[in-house]
Amino acid sequence: MQYDPDQDEDEVFDEFRWSTIYRATQQKKIVEAFRLFRSDGIEPVLFKGWAIARAFPETVSRISSDTDLAVSSAEFRRAEAIRTSPAGRKLVIDLHNEFSRHDSLEWETLFARCETTEIDGETIRILRPEDHLRVVCVHWLIDGAQYREKLWDIYYLVANRPKDFDWQMCLDEVESRRRRWIVCAIGLAAKYFGLDLSGTPISNAAETLPKWLIDRVEKEWASEMKLEPLDAHFRNPRKFLLQLKKRTPPNPIAATVDVGGSFDSRLRLHYQLHSFGRRGLASIRRSISYNRP
Amino acid sequence: MSELQTPKARKRGLVVQEMPGEILVYDTETNKAHCLNDSAAFVWTSCNGVNTVSDIVREFEANAKGTVTQDFVWLAIDQLSSKGLLETKIEPKFKGKSRRDVLKTIGLVSVAALPIIASLAAPQSALAATSCNCSRDSECNLVNQVCPTMMCANRGMTPAFTCTG
Repeated sequence: MQYDPDQDEDEVFDEFRWSTIYRATQQKKIVEAFRLFRSDGIEPVLFKGWAIARAFPETVSRISSDTDLAVSSAEFRRAEAIRTSPAGRKLVIDLHNEFSRHDSLEWETLFARCETTEIDGETIRILRPEDHLRVVCVHWLIDGAQYREKLWDIYYLVANRPKDFDWQMCLDEVESRRRRWIVCAIGLAAKYFGLDLSGTPISNAAETLPKWLIDRVEKEWASEMKLEPLDAHFRNPRKFLLQLKKRTPPNPIAATVDVGGSFDSRLRLHYQLHSFGRRGLASIRRSISYNRP
Repeated sequence: MSELQTPKARKRGLVVQEMPGEILVYDTETNKAHCLNDSAAFVWTSCNGVNTVSDIVREFEANAKGTVTQDFVWLAIDQLSSKGLLETKIEPKFKGKSRRDVLKTIGLVSVAALPIIASLAAPQSALAATSCNCSRDSECNLVNQVCPTMMCANRGMTPAFTCTG
C-alpha cells in the first residue's frame, strides 16, 4: 500500500483481503450465535453460508449476510425469542424450524449424523456433506433458481466434496421425486459451469435435464426483477404490482418443489395453481395484515 | 493538543485478523473493513491507554521498525481516530492540513513506511452475489417501508432487517 498525497483517504480493492476478514467476521458471529443458544440449552445446526464457503477456494468471495441455523421444533419458540433479543438481532440469524422446507428426512436422523468442527474453541455442528448438498439444492430450487451466482454453491459442494462422500446417502434415502430435483440442480451446475461429474452415479445429469427447466432457468437469469417480500413494497403500489406480476403465475420451479411435484411431469400449471393456493394467498393476506394501520 | 494523551485501541465490536505485514480489521458496528499496514498496526497495538505518543515513538524504534518522529505517530493516531478504531475520538493533530502538507511536516526524518489505514472495499464479485447492492441505508428501497425505525443490518449484502423500534 502506498500513501497517496492526492487522495483524501486510502482505499484498497483486494478480494483476498476482503474475503479473509469477512470470513473471520462470519466465524465470530457463528461462535457467538452458538454460545447464545447453548446458554439456553438449545442445540442448533449450522448450514448454508459459512458451511458452504468452506468448500469455496480461498481466493473467491462467498458472501453470506446472515447465519442460517436450524433447531428442533420443540426448541423453535424459545430459539425465536433468543433470535429476536437484542443480543440475537446483532448476529443476524436466519432461524429454521428443523429442515422441513428443505428436506424430507427426519430432524433426528439429520441431527444425529451432523459433523462438528471447532471455531475459537466452540464446537459447531454442521450438516453432514451429503445432507447439506441436498438441502442446498432444494433451497436454490425453492428460490426459483433465480440466482445464477448461487449455483456456484452447488458446484463447489460437489467439486470439493470429501473423498468419502456417500452418493447413496445423499440421493437414495429420499423419495424419487426429490432425488430428481437434486440431480437436476447438480446437472445445471454441470451444464452451465462445467462441473465434472465423471465417476459419480449421476455422470449424465447435465444430459437428462428437462427442457422446460432449462428454459425457465435461462429466463430467470435473464430477468433483472427478482422476487422480493411483498411486505416491503406494500406502500409502493407500482413495485407491489410488479412483484405481484412476478408471482403470477408462480415460478414453476419453485411451485413444483413447493408442492412435491415431479420435474418430469408434462405440465406445470397444476403445481403452480396448487402452490399459489397454498402460499400465494397466505403471503398476500399476511402482507395486508402486517401493513394494516 | 496534549502530548500526554494516552490513546487506547478499541476492541469492542472489532474482528481482527493478523496477516504478514498488516492487520485486517472488520468493524461490526459500522460494517466497514480496514487494512492497517505494518506501521499503522504497530501504533494501534501500542495504544494501550498508558503509552503517550513519545512512548510509542520509543517503542517503535526499540522494535527496529525505523526512526520516526512524533508527527509520524500522530499521523497514525489521526487515522485511527477518524476510522473509529480508538476507544475515544481524539482531536486531529493535522486538522485542516492537506495530505501533502502533512507529508512535508513529517518529512524524510521518518524513514519507516508511512502508517496507512486503508478502507477495504467489498469486491464487485461479492456484491454481485448478493441480492442487495446497497452500501448504505439511504440506497436501500426496503428500509423504512415496513417499519419506520427499521434499519438494514447488512449494507452491501443481502438485506436483513432489524427493527430498532
